[in-house]
Amino acid sequence: MRRATRAGGAPQRYSAASLFRHGLTHEDWERVWRTVEMRRSYDAVVIGAGVHGLATAYYLASNHGMGNVAVVDKGYVGGGGSGRNTAIIRSNYLTPEGVRFYDRSTRLYENLSATLNFNVMFARRGHLTLAHTDASVRTMRWRAEVNKLEGVESEVIGPDEVKELVPFMDTSTKTRYPILGALYHPPGGIIRHDAVNWGYARAADSLGVEIHQGTEVTGISTDRGRVTGVTTSRGAISAPVVVNCTAGWASLVATMAGVRLPIITHPLQAAVTEPVKMFLHAVVVSGSLHVYVSQTDRGELVFGASTDPYASYSMRGSLEFTEELATHVLELMPSISKMRVLRQWAGLCDITPDFSPIMGVTPVDGFLVDVGWGTYGFKAGPAAGEAMAELVATGKTPESIAAFDLARFEEARLVGERGAAAVGH
Amino acid sequence: MSTAKRLLSGRPTKMRITSRPGEVIDRSKPVRFTWNGREKSAFEGDTIISALAASGERVFSRSFKYHRPRGILTATFHDPGCSVQVGDEPNVRGSHRLVTAGMKVTAQNVWPSLKLDVASANRAAGRFIGAGFYYKTFIKPERLWPTYEKVLQRFAPGGRVSADSPHGSYDKRYAHPDVVVAGGGPAGMAAALGAAEAGARVMLVEEEHSLGGHLRYGSETELAALAELRREVEASGAIEVLVNSAVTGRYDGNWIAILQRNLPHVTERLVKARAKVVVAAPGLIERPYVFEGNDLPGVMLSTAARRLLNLWAVAPGTRAVVLSANEEGDATAADLSDAGVHVAQVVDARRGEQVVRARGAGSLSEVELGDGSKVSCDLLVTAVGWTAPTLLLNVAGDRPVYDERAARFVPGDGLPANVLATGGIVGDGPTAALVEHGRATGRAAAERALARDGTSVTIPSLSPAPHPALYRSRTHGIVDFSEDISSKDLVSAAREGYDSVELLKRYTTATMGPAQGKLETINTVAVLAEATGRSIAETGTTVWRPPHVPVSLGALAGRVLEPVRYSPMQPWHEAHRATPIVAGQWIRPEHYGDPAREVRTVREHVGLIDVTPLGKLDLRGPDVPKLLNFLYVNKWLKLDIGSVRYGLMCGEDGVVLDDGVTGHLGEDHYLMSTTSSGADAVAHWIENWLQTTFPDWQVYMTPMTTAYASINVAGPKSRELMSRVVSDVDLSPEAFAYMQVRRGTICSVPGCVMWRIGFTGELSYELHVPAGYGLYVWESLLAAGEDLSAGVFGLEAQRIMRLEKGHLIVSQDTDGLTQGYGVGLDGLIKLDKEDFAGKQELEWQLERQGYNHLVALLPDDASVVPPEASQIVTGDRSIVGRVTSSRLSPSLGRSICLALVAPQLAETGKSVTVHLPDGTDVRAKVSEELAQFDPGGERLRA
Amino acid sequence: MILIPCPHCGDRNSSEFTYAGEVHSRPSPGDARQGPWRDYLYGKDNPAGWTEERWFHGSGCGKYLRAERHTVTNEIRATRPEVGAGASSRTRP
Ligand SMILES: Cc1cc2nc3c(=O)[nH]c(=O)nc-3n(C[C@H](O)[C@H](O)[C@H](O)COP(=O)(O)OP(=O)(O)OC[C@H]3O[C@@H](n4cnc5c(N)ncnc54)[C@H](O)[C@@H]3O)c2cc1C
Ligand SMILES: [Zn+2]
Repeated sequence: MRRATRAGGAPQRYSAASLFRHGLTHEDWERVWRTVEMRRSYDAVVIGAGVHGLATAYYLASNHGMGNVAVVDKGYVGGGGSGRNTAIIRSNYLTPEGVRFYDRSTRLYENLSATLNFNVMFARRGHLTLAHTDASVRTMRWRAEVNKLEGVESEVIGPDEVKELVPFMDTSTKTRYPILGALYHPPGGIIRHDAVNWGYARAADSLGVEIHQGTEVTGISTDRGRVTGVTTSRGAISAPVVVNCTAGWASLVATMAGVRLPIITHPLQAAVTEPVKMFLHAVVVSGSLHVYVSQTDRGELVFGASTDPYASYSMRGSLEFTEELATHVLELMPSISKMRVLRQWAGLCDITPDFSPIMGVTPVDGFLVDVGWGTYGFKAGPAAGEAMAELVATGKTPESIAAFDLARFEEARLVGERGAAAVGH
Repeated sequence: MSTAKRLLSGRPTKMRITSRPGEVIDRSKPVRFTWNGREKSAFEGDTIISALAASGERVFSRSFKYHRPRGILTATFHDPGCSVQVGDEPNVRGSHRLVTAGMKVTAQNVWPSLKLDVASANRAAGRFIGAGFYYKTFIKPERLWPTYEKVLQRFAPGGRVSADSPHGSYDKRYAHPDVVVAGGGPAGMAAALGAAEAGARVMLVEEEHSLGGHLRYGSETELAALAELRREVEASGAIEVLVNSAVTGRYDGNWIAILQRNLPHVTERLVKARAKVVVAAPGLIERPYVFEGNDLPGVMLSTAARRLLNLWAVAPGTRAVVLSANEEGDATAADLSDAGVHVAQVVDARRGEQVVRARGAGSLSEVELGDGSKVSCDLLVTAVGWTAPTLLLNVAGDRPVYDERAARFVPGDGLPANVLATGGIVGDGPTAALVEHGRATGRAAAERALARDGTSVTIPSLSPAPHPALYRSRTHGIVDFSEDISSKDLVSAAREGYDSVELLKRYTTATMGPAQGKLETINTVAVLAEATGRSIAETGTTVWRPPHVPVSLGALAGRVLEPVRYSPMQPWHEAHRATPIVAGQWIRPEHYGDPAREVRTVREHVGLIDVTPLGKLDLRGPDVPKLLNFLYVNKWLKLDIGSVRYGLMCGEDGVVLDDGVTGHLGEDHYLMSTTSSGADAVAHWIENWLQTTFPDWQVYMTPMTTAYASINVAGPKSRELMSRVVSDVDLSPEAFAYMQVRRGTICSVPGCVMWRIGFTGELSYELHVPAGYGLYVWESLLAAGEDLSAGVFGLEAQRIMRLEKGHLIVSQDTDGLTQGYGVGLDGLIKLDKEDFAGKQELEWQLERQGYNHLVALLPDDASVVPPEASQIVTGDRSIVGRVTSSRLSPSLGRSICLALVAPQLAETGKSVTVHLPDGTDVRAKVSEELAQFDPGGERLRA
Repeated sequence: MILIPCPHCGDRNSSEFTYAGEVHSRPSPGDARQGPWRDYLYGKDNPAGWTEERWFHGSGCGKYLRAERHTVTNEIRATRPEVGAGASSRTRP
């Protein structure tokens, strides 16, 4: 096995000082990652250059010294869900195993800028999940209680406190779905998704990982129940380990290895408005109204909602999505009706029956999956990458992801995250 | 006299010139408005910006990053530097929005003011804050990022919203035209005419305030042609014209979104048109040229200059340099001279002449040309080529291809049959050629829309004219005016490795601002191509995303129309100050002031509760027993007429789905009740089985939830009360026993169903009366029971009483993974039935064991009510259960709970630790029975 | 908004329907083993291309129907009634 090597020596450091120097001299920055010839064999091939694939490759190289790894993607770095999501980071899940896992991820995110030497702009704005019915107040309290027992900051607050955090919110009782309270999760926030993708790609590259964009996997070769490599649009690669990190396309890739997944691909849409001056600090989610909203540092509101109602691989987006979204946003904040939607887009989500991911081994030896990330997987990238890397390097499934194995469906050990994952992302 | 002096003399406003043949202002109607608090005058027909420009203003905003002054660039909706705040409305397109009397317009994005701009210090720092600089700095220490972030937020562009703005008036409309034509220029108008002539009903949509496109600001011949086209359109009875409206997107199934802004009393209306065929005729967008200083106020596109001159009679400057690579540029020079603007020089790009840089402090004062010469001027007009706005075609699946000869992207060949294109987006030509192409395309559209054989229509060819490829001069300049991205930023980002269009766009944010790439995309692609040594064709373009123009949230939402469900007794509840509670679509009484007293009324006398939201499904047919036997976990094949039975439903995964009672009303006739929240789901569930799996079973299901008003009459005196209002049913305990159903007349209302069951644990009757009589029966019952101390009770009292009785509520005391065994109903599950929904999983659940159990918990301190969702923990703080329901029981004078706990805790007398939300722990004991009140059920059976 | 040709009602907006997904037949009771049963519950084909699926016309005729839809383009090329499959099917011209 090749040890991780630095491609072209230590990567150029980013800092205010280096920025200043470049400003004066106008010399070019070093390339963020290399473009190299694809080789015929690697110690591992990761399919998908989203946050999951890139983080897996990065931690393989950084934590386990395994740099002889190729990440292949049919498009460009971050062209899938990882570059289309609404970038909400939080760990206020419902099940203890879920909370622990996402908490690990959030902690990795907190230090990620320094780890990767790339500012990922993680802004802990605070995250509010509104409750409009007594049933949802109960669920929020359930989440808060589990969170606190797992050491995660979460709390149920009343409408007055909601109003204090979000002055534009209509917290009166005159609305159709009055706000009865909210789950407040101060460490939650938003991040610059592309920066995370690029930061991982750059750091992985500097440790020897090769990133091959525009390289589509068209087949997976196996021999007597063991994976032996992949065929791609740019030729075949042999590798003893292949990791499927293709999210919305996960079923298609798994099928190439003869593995059937309990996944349905649904588009998930998002929209952004024109910028206005900052007025919304926190991230606000309403499960009952199927909508969530945050304001970026640039002043745009970013909206999301639940997935499209039918399975599809289309990323065209729909009008009814923006209509429903606007209806519900205005119920929460009626005074922003004059803001305008600038752009809408869609990504593909790999939805599992229990709204929890599938990480680990499959019936085909060496063919691993890190999929089923549905509408909530961006925040999980670091922890999933770390755990998958450990699995690849040691051959043992880490405890942190044991509950999320593929076999749970055949063995009816589902994870109960439905309530916490449905719209919150 | 100099040109400037001539322009300024004797006119009400500085830059307004004498009447132009095509002007759209009404000089007889002056309008006054304010700009940054100062009074300004205008004419009706002026846009905010044309009026301000007429008054001599040149700077309307500051740029996003470097806070450079920005003036007019396009004089269209998409003008990046001309967004202003109008009253409480942010980001108003000042070059499009018409001035109205009293309008309060302010500049946005200027801190602290338009003239004095502190942030322009950023400009000096410009070389250090190129694209992507955020990513490279503020990395350490991490705790400082929030502080940096706050500083960055200050520079966020855009206007302001205010928390007390009213919702405004918005509307929606559905339309079913045969043909939608997007774009009302000559080709679009002709397409509408062609389609109408061929028999189609047409909707013609134009973004500007009137039809005509580029003809509006063209030559006299063009104006004449326009007048003729307008006459024809007006004369046609089959064309509906929407001006100041935009087709914002085309979605699957030719679902066309149109934003209509020209209605009185409605701010904006969203028209949703299911078009049989759509014709895209959006014309061409002129593109800016990239060179140093290209964003100085005074540098503008040729179309902008012509629009200002010819539509609003405003001189765009006093001394002009015109960079021309095409006829439109030449025509602009001619128009300028004609209007009295001195044209100092025409720089002919076709002869290789170049503009290298523009200079000026605050606005343009000098242009440097390719030969090094310098020309002083206050206006530089560029005419360097066009962009085809192909959004509508792209979203229909087409990919634009680069036409090297014409130096622009043109439609590919990937259009579906229900989308056509005409006009400038397809090719160039004189007005007659555009009209001819449009008319034929319109006819073809009609043929397709009316499903006729369209082979008779031949569409004449229209191809893009050759054009020099002019994107960037020798110098670097702004590519994205909204985002403040220069070509230099793009080059260095590409060299850094962000070298595909998609990566470059994301890294630099070029094309992501308010104009959404309409002005910027092609230059971005060209600069990238140059930086990477690839051709423009190889570099490709980015995906255009809807909407074509920004759409207000108000228009997308439309009128506020949230359905609410009330029971027929709602007027009574309101009159009696019921506290409402939202329960899904329903709004119902939670209580009438004092739930504990309501409980006592029921336990001691008799109470009425409105349970109308309970799901009610009428089931008829010989195979109903089979269906019930399949849906519920218990047995249903033998249920006598006149009896009701409780049942539990599980999904195929064994998870508890719903519960309720079903009564056998008569021969082949049953009434099923479901939980209120489960009513729709159960109805679906039944339809699904009947239609997909058991199509030969003879069962008809009719949802009856709102056809009946439902009242539960509960309490020891309920029989007495019932006997006063029911005449045709023997109510004696022997004749009408617990778990029986009767049909009869209540308060003279025939056709009522009553069954003897009760969630409260008291003797009780559940009445389902025809909904129209609900209120009458409710009031009559109360009147009849006055001397019995009859009262009413709400949901809260009912919840308390059901908890005292240990009855579970599905989805409160169960969750998404709770299977049938363990919820206190094990005896109900009959695995010896041949088949039922969930049977397999329940069998395996039983084999596997280890599942949670629903138990009643009694806190050791009877005054402590652990809030619902409190967790049950072990010594090492791991979670072993949770409280699912809890209340202070008025009947028992102590706190009571239901809890789902791990199997090892589900033993009578077991003591557990309940961790409360406030952080303290309390102890509680598992009680023997789920029911704490009347566990034997004697009161119920009385 | 896709348009679904309901075999009973004609072309209708998809918002009138509830998507019921891939068609999987229920293993016959009695001899169900865990593997096939769990595959019936959770397994999915999830193809990118033509697929046959169920829709429920809840705001229309109240009938389930089968549709052949392309999951990339969302084009529907045929629908037929769920019950008595084969009768009166509607195919787009
Ligand atoms: C609109 C939207 C909003 C969201 N909001 C949030 C949020 O707020 N918070 C959150 O945590 N999550 C959110 N998500 C979910 C999150 O985006 C995803 O779960 C996450 O990005 C998945 O990352 P990934 O690396 O697994 O997959 P992706 O980023 O989707 O990457 C998969 C990659 O696989 C590649 N690929 C596919 N097939 C092949 C093949 N055959 N050969 C080679 N390459 C292939 C694709 O090109 C793609 O780049 C959202 C998703 C969407 C769509
Ligand atoms: Zn129908």
